[in-house]
Formats: sequence, structure tokens, C-alpha cells
Amino acid sequence: MRSCEPLLFKNRRAEGPVFLEGYRKNGGYQGLEKALRGMSPADVREEVKASGLRGRGGAGFPTGVKWSFFPSDDAGEKYLVCNGDEMEPGTFKDRQLLLADPHHLLEGIIISCYALGIGTAYIFLRDAYRECAGNLERAIDEAAQAGLLGDDILGSGFSCEIHVHRSAGRYICGEETALLNSLEGLRPNPRSKPPFPAIKGLFGRPTALNNIETLANIPHIVTGGAAWYKSLALTEQGAGTKLYGLAGHLETPCCVEAPIGMPLGELIRDFGGGVWKNRSFKACLPGGASTPYLTAEHLDVALDYEPLEQVGTRLGTGGVVVFDDRTCMVAATLNLLRFFARESCGWCTPCRDGLPLVCWLLERLERGEGTREDLTMLQEQLSHINGRSFCALALGAMGPVDGLLRHFAEEVEDHIRMGRCPLQD
Amino acid sequence: MATLLSEKQIAQLKRRVKETPHPREMVLDVLHAIQDANGWVSDEGVELAAIVLGLSSLQVEEIATFYDKIYRRPVGRKVIHVCDSICCWSRGSEAIMLRLQQLLAIAPGETTADGMFTLLPTCCLGACGEAPALRIGRTLYGGVEPEQLEAILDKERAEVES
Amino acid sequence: MPTLTIDNQTITVPEGTNVLEAARQLGIEVPHFCHHEALGSVGACRLCAVEFLEGPVKGIQMSCMVLAKDDMVIDTGSDGVLAYRAQVIEWLMTNHPHDCPVCDEGGECQLQDMTVAGGHGVRRYTGPKRTYQNQDLGPFIAHEMNRCIQCYRCVRTYQEYCGGKDFGVMGTRQRLYFGRFSDGPLESPFSGNLVDVCPTGVLTDKTYRYKSRIWDLQEAPSICPHCSLGCAVIPGARYQELQRRRARTNRRTNGHFICDRGRFGYGYVNHPDRPRAPLLGHRRVTWQEALAALQNHLHEFCELYGSGSISMLSSSRASLETQFLTKRWANALGSGQLCFEAHPRRDQAARVAASQAPDCSASMEDIRSCDMAVLVGADPLAEAPMLALALRQAARRGARIVVVDPRPVELPIDCERHAAAPEELPRILQGLTRPQQNAFASASEEFGGALGRALLEAKNPVLIGGSDLLGPQGCQMLLKAAEACSPTGSTCRSMLLLAGPNSFGGAMLSDDGPGFDALLEGMEQGRIKSLVCIEADPVADYPDRKRCRAALARLDLLVVFDCAATATVQEADLFFPTTALEEAAGTLVNNEGRMQAFEKVFSAGTPLLQSAAGDHPPRFFSRDIPGSHPQPAWTTLARLLGRDAELEKVRRELEKIDPRFDGLAGLTADSEGCRVVAPRQAPALVAAPASGVTASDQLHLLVTEHLYGSELLSDLSPCLQAVKSDPYVWLHPQDVARLKLVEGKPVRLCTSLGEWTLELRINGDISPGVAVVPRLRGTVVETLVPGSEPMLCRIEKA
Ligand SMILES: Cc1cc2nc3c(=O)[nH]c(=O)nc-3n(C[C@H](O)[C@H](O)[C@H](O)COP(=O)(O)O)c2cc1C
Ligand code: SF4
Ligand code: FES
Repeated sequence: MRSCEPLLFKNRRAEGPVFLEGYRKNGGYQGLEKALRGMSPADVREEVKASGLRGRGGAGFPTGVKWSFFPSDDAGEKYLVCNGDEMEPGTFKDRQLLLADPHHLLEGIIISCYALGIGTAYIFLRDAYRECAGNLERAIDEAAQAGLLGDDILGSGFSCEIHVHRSAGRYICGEETALLNSLEGLRPNPRSKPPFPAIKGLFGRPTALNNIETLANIPHIVTGGAAWYKSLALTEQGAGTKLYGLAGHLETPCCVEAPIGMPLGELIRDFGGGVWKNRSFKACLPGGASTPYLTAEHLDVALDYEPLEQVGTRLGTGGVVVFDDRTCMVAATLNLLRFFARESCGWCTPCRDGLPLVCWLLERLERGEGTREDLTMLQEQLSHINGRSFCALALGAMGPVDGLLRHFAEEVEDHIRMGRCPLQD
Repeated sequence: MATLLSEKQIAQLKRRVKETPHPREMVLDVLHAIQDANGWVSDEGVELAAIVLGLSSLQVEEIATFYDKIYRRPVGRKVIHVCDSICCWSRGSEAIMLRLQQLLAIAPGETTADGMFTLLPTCCLGACGEAPALRIGRTLYGGVEPEQLEAILDKERAEVES
Repeated sequence: MPTLTIDNQTITVPEGTNVLEAARQLGIEVPHFCHHEALGSVGACRLCAVEFLEGPVKGIQMSCMVLAKDDMVIDTGSDGVLAYRAQVIEWLMTNHPHDCPVCDEGGECQLQDMTVAGGHGVRRYTGPKRTYQNQDLGPFIAHEMNRCIQCYRCVRTYQEYCGGKDFGVMGTRQRLYFGRFSDGPLESPFSGNLVDVCPTGVLTDKTYRYKSRIWDLQEAPSICPHCSLGCAVIPGARYQELQRRRARTNRRTNGHFICDRGRFGYGYVNHPDRPRAPLLGHRRVTWQEALAALQNHLHEFCELYGSGSISMLSSSRASLETQFLTKRWANALGSGQLCFEAHPRRDQAARVAASQAPDCSASMEDIRSCDMAVLVGADPLAEAPMLALALRQAARRGARIVVVDPRPVELPIDCERHAAAPEELPRILQGLTRPQQNAFASASEEFGGALGRALLEAKNPVLIGGSDLLGPQGCQMLLKAAEACSPTGSTCRSMLLLAGPNSFGGAMLSDDGPGFDALLEGMEQGRIKSLVCIEADPVADYPDRKRCRAALARLDLLVVFDCAATATVQEADLFFPTTALEEAAGTLVNNEGRMQAFEKVFSAGTPLLQSAAGDHPPRFFSRDIPGSHPQPAWTTLARLLGRDAELEKVRRELEKIDPRFDGLAGLTADSEGCRVVAPRQAPALVAAPASGVTASDQLHLLVTEHLYGSELLSDLSPCLQAVKSDPYVWLHPQDVARLKLVEGKPVRLCTSLGEWTLELRINGDISPGVAVVPRLRGTVVETLVPGSEPMLCRIEKA
């Protein structure tokens, strides 16, 4: 079993969350001090860009590049919004981080605000994470008391405040522009891009938007340096570590931190305890509900952005959901699609009306009522929904359908041929 | 309408609305406050929120009906949210839901006759590592087996009654 | 200016044009639902896909969301695109009830068209459909949510464009609901636009429900007659009944929308009390008899008393052709006793408006694109509702809107309000005419000066005035102020709201002819023996009804031409039925001086539902179509003048005689119209009597227009009765306290014209010392006429 030093989870304890004292004892807020005392905002941005850090919210966009579009010098109001909606099935890493170590995120936010010249940050938290909200609010108070947050942080002249916003459900609120509408008290339909949030975001002002995990990486990049951070990955092009959620048919489902580039099979074996009940591995979602399946032939693939793209899927949120050999992939896909159809915001036709139609087709197939025509129709849905929806929700939703039709075509055919689900006795 | 929140709470919310440069931003806070105090947001609750926020009832309703964790219909003292997303499904959430229906003698979406529990399916609770998971009120239960449900319900019921 | 190729045709379009609009400029209509020229693109329906073959964007993309760029090569009908669009229709139709046979949208349904065009002929989805319960949205709009395709056009129109707050979208995913928080009438005065923007049968015209299919309707381009703005409309008629009105597009005036007064005011045409036959005294006569009687009488008067004993009155309801031939006829008879407005102050104000330089007057489009608007004594929703909508569009783009008014002027936007007392208005205008001045004599003038400076700094400012409150002097001052506030190199445009759809035309033709006061004097002195009212209702429109009635009673002959049973018609010795606007062609000149032609929609006749009287078989027979006697006033005038009733000829003649009307003869009804080319002479005005509140229990009485119930024709529309208010008076809380009155309790309004009991309403936005009473026809206060000289009143407990 490969040993690896955790960064984000370094303060994670079975006993419960670590707050300011524990966080500082273990090197906490050194990144902030280093940034404020010894680095200009541009230095910090440069370092983050050089580190190769990519967004952990699902899209994997290089954080430094995204920041380079941000008008840091714009004198007016600017915002940082931390995306803590985390509602994609199979994804539970951000919650684990906040349950263990809320200051980690705060330090990342404060440094990022410094780097981007931002004075106000919002943490957008999903409704279910009340405990996390409590942790954050306590941590915010502690940091403010300690002069790490608020006016003139550590005597540097830089000031910044952080607000926690509690949402009320709905996966679409995780989509960055829908999130902005939600924060503003509007209906959380996505906005059209351009303009991107960096130019016109919250309340029409420039807004930097990042995932919780992404921001929690920032202090380490600042303290350790870009080169060191990059070297943590196991792959050439990769950088840093990743929080992986291991769930589904595993012996020991868990959330772990491991280097970027960890081979899929190794992660499942070493941390997930292998497939449960001594069954064999049939498939998995490699990075949350919206990523196309991988199969047994992919167990060697490195969990990093490019290698996964090469096998037709994505690293997504890093939520690995494993299915054993008794799983009907049509049924699994139906479950996933029901989620997406239910969470559609209702703005655009392919998602709002297309996904329910996909569900209906999958239901027919699963019940054994499906015909060849239904299969053709399902294939049409894939090509007509992909890339045609207003935001990425529907695109993501079709990930599993894509995987199903690519890797499990025979199993789907069997449903039609046998007139029943072949995996149900 | 005023009984939905205390005079003091209303005054406090109104002050916050007045202080923020973007009053609409407060719409979920106001709805949360009304729901926390009453269990759900009634039509009168929407009207109250509209007054506090300086919006029309429709404008508040547009927001309230978007979010599934704002209840626009009466619910029991505690809402049981059973995760039906992929990880929980893969580890038996359907059996959990069936068992709960038997124990409570209600279908999903319904409230028990004594007004204690409302049973609702929900999407992923962010507890995939503890699947199958469910949430009753504010308590998360992970790794739940159907056999444990009776005890869990008893405990939750006892909590309300004490 | 990017140049791109669409379906093998190349076009260059302005920067910022999207591909859907670029294609449209080439005459290629890319199918779409959610895009709307006035509402813009939001990318929701995902129907407008096209295929990008070359250039910066590749593959199938939504044409409404992609801006045209150089080197784009686009195919709007590739196989991939067509297959995808058919899929979108299939998605949209999964839940559709397929109830086209009973749907009012049938035949003019965009969804129906797209379903056919998209080739979605076979239903593959056989699962259950979701259903909704409908709401009662009031008297205007029917609601059938099951037909909804979620294009969001209704919400965007109602909330964003029109500023309504009581209709919107609720729910998420496939369970969206477009409606109100609860059942109840829609509050926006622009709610009818929902009918036009909804591409399916969800929101339809309730007043037109189950009446006709579009192909059974007679339709033609027309103009709305219910205020002075002249919005473009398309009336539709069937079975001799005018069944509806919808908005027509005129980018210079109304844009794409109209107000509810305009849309639902059409019912006057079908009014059961409409007089449809010539009457001699109370006796029905033939046209020949009536005309012979008219000619004999007038001949006799000329012989006996001279041509000066004959007088004529037309109105702002009459078409330019009618007004012109009235003038020709008066000339032919040798009578100079002619005017075009029974209300002297309104008459003078219109003559002032018509003296405005045409290139300084603001169109509605100018207002939509202005960056600052100052309204002085103008209440858009009451006097010219679509102006409110135009101002809203300006405000949405960041324009500053300032309202200076003693009344509680309501607008569908947030704006700056200054409750100025009526006597302050002239001083504020005075200040506005001297924006550069340093010291002012009064605070009001100083305020006007500050506004003027802001106007000077604005890029596209407009100054808007209401002629009723300002009066002719105020109007003149406002025009002067606009001139003074024009920064070098650009113009501060101005707009005056006038009394009716053709006030401007009448004012142009009046030149320095007499006003109705002079005519009345003639009648009182017995000089004038006869009055011919051509589509004019002096009894209702002259501010002092008693005086007018008494003068008319002294006449030997009162002749009335009209299409409505007005108060004056009741007194007529000889009556000629005229056609309603929709039953003939003509021209109107709106308040900016825009000549707009309208076409005949259908022939006058008693609506089948009325003439058949429900009997079968009918108990009577007739050779002509029942109720078809009304004639356009101008054709009768042409007959009286002994010439051809040919519209073309009349227009050409007017254009020739009076070059200010250049362009009239070439005007078509579906054009944007054209402005009169030169102003009339500015009238010489007599200074208004200074008025001041003398006793402490006296208040200024302001009689004003009201959205519904003030304008003659729309008030005859049955469906508008439901939204008409009961008479009331508005007072400032200070006055209410001072006079010890109680809100909601009836009060007594005492004026020199009479005393009435009405409901008291309190409003903090109005100027103290003022009592505002809207004119509501058919109620106790119907004799109060807006635009009158300032009047004092007392209000006491009833
Ligand atoms: C439907 C949808 C849901 C999303 N949900 C989340 C989420 O819960 N959390 C998150 O960080 N990003 C989510 N994203 C991605 C965000 O839009 C955005 O890309 C991300 O927050 C950017 O942060 P990053 O660059 O740090 O990853 C979602 C995207 C889509 C399309
Ligand atoms: S794909 Fe369309 S309907 Fe779905 S969530 Fe995005 S915008 Fe909303
Ligand atoms: S799938 Fe159930 S908690 Fe994530």
C-alpha cells in the first residue's frame, strides 16, 4: 500500500473537528502569513498558476488560468464565492473537509481574496450541511478574534470578510451562474456566458468562483511552492493530491486523500477494501454521477484529468462509485437519470423535457418492455441532448447514458431480447 | 400572519433587509426563519416574507417553489429524508424506503396520522460513504439496515415527546 | 461589422447582432420559441439550432446565443439541424394535450406551425402526461397551463418588459407553473400582451374565447384610437362583429406591444346602443331624406342669416380626411365658424404641440432609448399608457426618470418623484428654460434649473408634458424649455400628451381659426343658428356642461355625425351614423406629428349575434345587411361637396394644398408612418388667470384622466367595465387630517359646477392642497372634464 502524506486531511481526527488551536499547531495559517508578509498578490497568482492546480468542483479548469481572467485591479466591489453546494451523488469530499477542519477552507479563501484583491467572500453551503455551517461559523469567529479575518489582517493592511450562505436544496445551485442567482435571491436558473462571472458575477460585479477543495489547496501551494505541489502527483502532467470519495459496492466506503494519478484499481483495493461480499468489479463512476462509466478493463487507468479523458470519461469531483457484478447497469443508469431529471432547473428543453423522456425509455427497457425503436430513440437522445443544453447539467446527465451505450450495449440488448432484466431472477 | 414569527423576529429581519444593499439576497433567510419556526411555509408565510422583503407574494413564491427543502405544504413534526441517489440505491435504499412505509403506514410524500413524521425521498445527502443514509429532522443516520428503523423511529418519537 | 455567410448568402451586420437576427435580415427565419425581438435571446427553448460549418464556432449551436462573427459559414437547414429540431418538438410535445380542435390559438399557434414544419408527425412517447389546474386571471386572459411549452416569454414580457409583479414562474424541472400566487385579475395594465407573446394556447384573449379561427377573421393594419400615441394594432372582425384587437409592430411608436385599454377597448364598435340609422328628430329616415333635410336647412340658414350662422365642430376622433373635408365644406359654405376640439384649453394645447419643430419631437422609440426623461404634469398610465412602458425600457437601460406632478403618478418603474403643487409647475418650467442661470427667484425655479442642467448633460434627453395639466401656456413653456436644454450638437426632444388620436391633425388644420368658446358665444348671442358636429361630443367634452347645453338648446339645428350614442347625439335634430375607425380607412396624426394611415377592417353592420336575436328562423328579413347604414364621415362630406368619395384623391389634395402634410398620399398602413414636415404657426396665447387657494378650507381641484373610464370609446367596451373604478377623490394625509376626514368614508366634493359624493382615498405622493378626481364616465362625476382651467373646491364629510 502506497503511503502518502495528506495535505487537506492532515488534521482529520476520529474525535471530531479541529479548530483554530489545533489548526495552527499543525502549521495552519502559515500560508496566509507568508502570502501577506512576503508575497505580492501577483506573486500568489503566479504561484497558483505554476502549481497546475485544477478546479475540484467537477469541470477541472486550471485555477491559475481562471484567476488570470479576473480583473484583480478593478477598484470597485469584487467577490469571491466558494461553491459548497456539493449535491452530485457520489460526492461527499467537501463535507468531510468541513467536518474535519474548517479553518483549512478559511485560510484558502483569505489568501485567494488577497491574491485577487477581493474584500468579501461568500461560502455557499447546501442545506443539508448544517453541521458544516456551524463549524465554519465558529471558525470565522475564531479567525476574526485572532486578527486573521476582518480589517487589516495580521497588520498587512489587507481586509476581508466571509459570509456563510445556507441554501435550500437543488443540485443546479452548484452550477456557478445558477449559484450566483441563488445568492442574489433570484430563481437559480443558470445565466448565459459570456459574460463570465469573473467579469460580471455576483450583483453584476467581478466574481471569482471556486470549489471548497480547490480553495483548501491554496495555502499548501503558497507554503510549499508550486514545484513541490506539482511533484505530489503520480502522473507527469498532474499536480497535487485529490480527495476521493469511495462509495457503492465496496467493503469500506470512505473519503480519502491520495495523490493525483493514483490508479483506479489501487485506490479501490487499498482504501475501499475491494468490492464487497467477495464479488467482482463490474463498473464504476470515476468522478461522480455525471461521469461515464469505467469497466474492469480500466482498472489501471490513472485518476487524473487527461488519462481519464482518453478513456472517454472525466475525473469530475473524484467521487468513485463502484458497482459489483450483480448490478444491472440499465437500472443504475435509470437511478442516475431520475436524479438528473428531478434536479433539472426547468430552463431549457433538452434537459427539462429530454431527461424525463430518457427516464421513460430506461424504465421501459428495465421493465422488459423496451423495443429496438426505444433503443434507437435512446441513442438519439444521447446525440441530441449532448452539447445542446443551456448548462452542463444535462450534458453531465447523459454521461452515464453514454457509458451505458458504449460499454454495456449487450446488456441493454439482452433486456430487449429477453423481455426482462437479465440480472433479476 | 404575525403569529408565524414573533414581533421581535420580524423587526430583526426587517432591519437586516433594510441594511443590506440587495434586499432580495435575504429571501432564503426569511423563508428559513419562517420554516424553522413553523415547520413549513404556508401561503401566509409567503405573504409575510413578501412584506418583510418588500416583494410581491408571487416574487417570493417563485423562489420558495424552486427549492425542495422549503416546504410549501404542511409536514409532520419531523421530516424523514431517505436518500434515493446512486450510492444509497446501490446499498439498499429501496428496502429502507419500503420498510419505512410499512412502519409508518404512509406512502412517500405523506404524513403519519399523528402528525409526527413526513416521509420524503431526497437526492444525495453527501453521506455516500455511509450509504444507505437518511436524515430525520437534523440528524443524519448512515449505514442503516432496515431492521434498525423501528428503533430509530422510536428514538426520534421519544425525543419529540420528551 | 462582421460579414458572414448564411445558407450561401453573405451579409454584413452590426457588431453584437446574433446569428438568428442576421439570418432574419436575409429573410431566413430560423425556427424559435423563446427569442423575441423585444425580449431578446435567453437560449431556453433550444429550437433555433443551426450548423456552423466554418469560422470561430463549429457544429450545431443555438443561433440566438451566438454573435455573428467574420468568416462564419452557416447552414440553417442541415440534416443534423433538422433532426435535432424535430427532437426538440418531440420533447415539447410529450406533455402537450393535443387539444388543438378546441384551442383558441389554433391556426395562429407557433407550436402548431413548428410541429408541422419540424416533421414531428408521429407520437412515440406513450407515457402519462402531466396536467395542471388553471387559474382565473381576471376578465382579459384565459389560462390553459396544460398547453405550456415553458418558453418563459410570458414572464419575461410581464415582469421584465412590463414591470408587473403578480405573474411569474413557479416550480422547477418539468413541473413549472406560469401564473399568479393565487387566482385573481392580473394587475398590470399591459397584461394583454401575454396573448401576443405566448406562442401556444396557454394565455389567450378571454374576450375572444371560442369566437373565431384566424382565417375566418377580417384583419387589416390599423391604429388604436384610445389615446394620442397612435399605437399600431391589428383588429379582427367576423360576422359584423369586431372580435379582438392585437398589437402590430411599429418600431417607431409602440414597438411590439400595446396597453390593455387599447387591446380591450374595441367593444364600442359592437355596442348594442350604437345608433346605426339616420334620424330626423327621433324618426328613422333614409340617407337620402336625411341628406336632403341637411342641405335644405343649411341652404335656408345661408339665405336667411348668412353663412356665418352655420358652425362646425369636429374632434380628435375624426380622421385627418374627415377633418380636412369638414374644413373644405365649411369653406364651400363660406363659414369660418369651424373648430376641431370642443375643449378650448385642449384645443389651444394641441395647437401649441403642432407648432413644435418636427425634428425636436420625441417618438416612443426616442423615449425607449433616452438616457434621461423629465415628466412635467404628465401621467402616462392615465393619459397615454404605452408611454409608461416606453419609459420603463429607458429605465431598464439605466435612464434617469424624473416625475414632477401634483398627482400620485404611478409608473411601472422606480423613479424620482417631486410632488409639485399645480401653481409650481409654471415656475419649474420657467427654471427649465434657463438651465444656465445662476440665481433663481424661487425654489421651484431653482429646482427646474437643476433639472435643466441635468438634461443638458444627458446624451439623449426628453422632456415630456401633459397638456391637461400644463395648459397651452405650460405646453409652450415646455417646448421652450426643451430648446433651452438642448446641448450643442444634439437635441433635448419633447413630447406633449394630447387629448385624442388626431388632436394634432385637427390643430394643424385649425391654424388660427376660432375656438369652441367663440362658437358658443355666437350661439348664445343668436348669431349662430346651427352646429354640425362631426364625430364630436361637445356636451361631454366642453368643461362647463350647463353652459354648453344651454347654448345648444338655442340652436335652430343641431346636426351630429357619430358612431357612438354620445350625450350630444341625444340632443341632435338630425343624426348621421358614421363608421367606427375599423370600418373605414383614413389617417391619424399622433401626438408627435406622425401621420399614420389605417385600413378598413370590415364593413359596418349589426353583429350577427345581435341581429339574429337568437331566433330561428329569423322573424324578419331585409335587403341589406342589418345595421349597415353607417358611412365614413368623409365620404358623406365628399357627397355634400359634390365630389368623388375617393380617399386617394382627398389625400393628394390635402398634400397639395398644404405642403406640411407632404408624404400623406404615399402613406401605407403597414409602414411606420411619417412626420408632418413643418410646424404650424405658434398660437398667440392669452395669459392664464392666476389662481391661488384663498380660503383655508379650499383645495385645488384637479380633474384627471383615468386608465379606464375616461376615454369615450374604450369606456363603451363591455369588458373594460369590470376594471373600472368607482368615483373617488385623492387627498394628501395632511389635508385629510386638517379637514377631519376619514379614509374609506364617502366625502362631499363641492365645486362651482356642482356637488357630488364620492369615496375618499389617501395618498402621500400627491401635493398637499390638491384634490385629485379622475373623470369617470357614466358616474356621478362624469360632468367633470380633465384639462379645465384650475378650479377650487371644498371637501367635507358626506
Ligand atoms: C449542474 C452542475 C452542478 C455543479 N455542482 C457543483 C458543486 O456542487 N460544487 C462545485 O464546486 N462545483 C459544482 N459545479 C461546477 C461549478 O459550475 C464550477 O465549475 C466550479 O464550482 C468551479 O470551481 P473550481 O474551478 O474550483 O472547480 C457544478 C456544475 C454543474 C454544471
Ligand atoms: S441543462 Fe437547461 S434545464 Fe437543465 S439545469 Fe441546465 S439550464 Fe436548467
Ligand atoms: S448517494 Fe446517498 S448520500 Fe450520496
